[in-house]
Amino acid sequence: MSDTNLSAVLLEKGNLKLEERPIPKPGKNEVQIAMHSVGICGSDVHYWVHGAIGDFVVRAPMILGHEASGTVSEVGEGVTHLKVGDRVAIEPGVPCRYCDYCKGGRYNLCLEMKFCATPPVDGSLARYYVHPADFCFKLPDHVSFEEGALLEPLSVGVHACRRAGVTIGSRVLICGAGPIGLVCLLVAKAMGAAQVAITDIDTKRLEVAKQMGADFPVHVTTRDGREVADQVVRALGCNPDVTVECSGAEPSVQTGIFATKSGGVLVLVGLGPPTINIPIVNAAVREVDIRGIFRYANCYPTALSMVASGQVNMKPMVTHRFSLEQTLEAFEASKKGEGIKVMINCDKTKA
Amino acid sequence: MSEPNISAVLLEKGNLKMEERPIPKPGKNEVQIAIHSVGICGSDVHFWTDGSIGPFLVKSPMVLGHEASGTVCQLGEGVTHLNIGDRVAIEPGIPCRQCAACKGGKYNLCPHVKFCATPPVDGSLCRYYVHPADLCFKLPDNVSYEEGALLEPLSVAVHACRRSGVTIGSNVLVCGAGPIGLVCLLAAKAMGAAKVVTTDIDAKRLECARQMGADVTVDVTSRDGRAVADQVVQELGCQPDVTIECSGAEPSIHAGIYATQPGGVLMIVGCGRQMATIPLLDAALKEVDIRGNLRYCNDYPTALAMVASGQVNVKPLVTHRYSLEQTLEAFEFAKKGEGIKVMIHCDKTKA
Repeated sequence: MSDTNLSAVLLEKGNLKLEERPIPKPGKNEVQIAMHSVGICGSDVHYWVHGAIGDFVVRAPMILGHEASGTVSEVGEGVTHLKVGDRVAIEPGVPCRYCDYCKGGRYNLCLEMKFCATPPVDGSLARYYVHPADFCFKLPDHVSFEEGALLEPLSVGVHACRRAGVTIGSRVLICGAGPIGLVCLLVAKAMGAAQVAITDIDTKRLEVAKQMGADFPVHVTTRDGREVADQVVRALGCNPDVTVECSGAEPSVQTGIFATKSGGVLVLVGLGPPTINIPIVNAAVREVDIRGIFRYANCYPTALSMVASGQVNMKPMVTHRFSLEQTLEAFEASKKGEGIKVMINCDKTKA
Repeated sequence: MSEPNISAVLLEKGNLKMEERPIPKPGKNEVQIAIHSVGICGSDVHFWTDGSIGPFLVKSPMVLGHEASGTVCQLGEGVTHLNIGDRVAIEPGIPCRQCAACKGGKYNLCPHVKFCATPPVDGSLCRYYVHPADLCFKLPDNVSYEEGALLEPLSVAVHACRRSGVTIGSNVLVCGAGPIGLVCLLAAKAMGAAKVVTTDIDAKRLECARQMGADVTVDVTSRDGRAVADQVVQELGCQPDVTIECSGAEPSIHAGIYATQPGGVLMIVGCGRQMATIPLLDAALKEVDIRGNLRYCNDYPTALAMVASGQVNVKPLVTHRYSLEQTLEAFEFAKKGEGIKVMIHCDKTKA
């Protein structure tokens, strides 16, 4: 256990520094966590490079990191289901719990959501971090800290595949074989999808997807959405029931619409430009429903059980590792876009 | 019975003529109907003026009309639930009944559907017409022929409201106060919507909407979707749960996306340009689902029940009437866009 709280702070756009911060104390219903593994997400890199994502602007120093796991080091008043020493995965978004969205079960849409490393809320890329206990999920002994941290992107995959209605026998198209496309692939297969086609402009990423279980990797070489849709349908042998769009790119969203069978579903996970040009009448008259995905709600327990049971193997996702002190190097590596998931180890004492 | 089968034939784009056609005989499971009332739809007018809608081209002469009712005058072999003399509303799309879509209950998406007055299939704007008996719905004595014909657009509304989840307590935005916007307003109110706000660029149409039960009307003077959305939310007092977009106009789709509350649904009923530039990211981040509609399926019985019970009063929709011989005049009038629904009476013997 450290006696200082070294934290990765984004002081302002382009300026990431390691700083000492006070060690936070857990309040009522909270736990203090000695952080262990924190994965870097595209959004962390984006805030560092651009200083903003949409309306969320970095206006004051903010600790980065939201894909995290660690060991409970202190328990606040009222916490009964966790104790010191428990290894936990941290679901990073804390909703208000009082509004209609929260009470209706869609807390991901809470307007007062405090989400790690979404300005102005501090993240968890530090030695110590405090969080509501009910958003911390105890890891069984055989689930590693890294797998615990990976539950965050995996939960995005669970939310996406659930809202898409992926089920046993589904024929699924996934657009994009980056980390999010890959977790969606893993979840879709675990949910019983019969066949999964996956597109990407990068053949190396397609190779990884193939190793992770994709039945039909499709190499995208044109920006003509309809052409790629035809390619997909030829490869899959049919129109997919569900398309999970993970790239955000306009031609890819178009492909999702053109390819999906009538009465099917296209879910949008990838975030792209604010306005895009799409064949909306095609989607409308074929009743291809378009559903957006914003993070997740009530997915962490499912993601954890999928990993704990072995239904999903996330281990190959981690390709690069750094220590907390090497955070800047880690972000530089992530920015290059090589590999899949860069993991940062914050615990001096544990492997 | 045995008038000549005068039929309104679209010979080619721009060329509508009254022609005598053979009187069709009912085959197995079919009935022959002496057509009484046929409403003119925007699509009929469009085929006449433009010769096509999307991929459907008028390549050979085609009888127009698909919003129809009449009297059964001959029974084909195997028909047991209808008798000669029964007054019926005709659901105009005949699915194949064998494909996966048909067997799955979504027969509106049947790729082989034969739909009245969608090329190359003849419609029902004539004196005698033959149709599968199971797609003909007997009208109770208190439901007029005109109301029977209006079940067609009303079914579009029922399908849209159902697919969007309009229910008791819903706050609904209906974009457009043309015939489709008006039936959606009626259906939404009948389904228990707490408040319905209707938008349109035409003050006269908004007055109709008010008379038909719209709680709030918004006169659209701007093409800025966000400004219109703000206006709607202000006048309604909240964000709508459901938006039913009936105009097909791009700024209106934008307004629907901006206005609808997070987790809500935007229904696309209106067909505009094939490609639209829309703020899809906005919809995605707040999980506003976008759903399309193709006609209806399993909705005619509900539409009939709503009219028969008085839950919905569609009578005010008919503003202009013509005889079958006056079809060209009727189409010229419908093309002007004045009034709401133009009805053509095809049966000389009945009122």
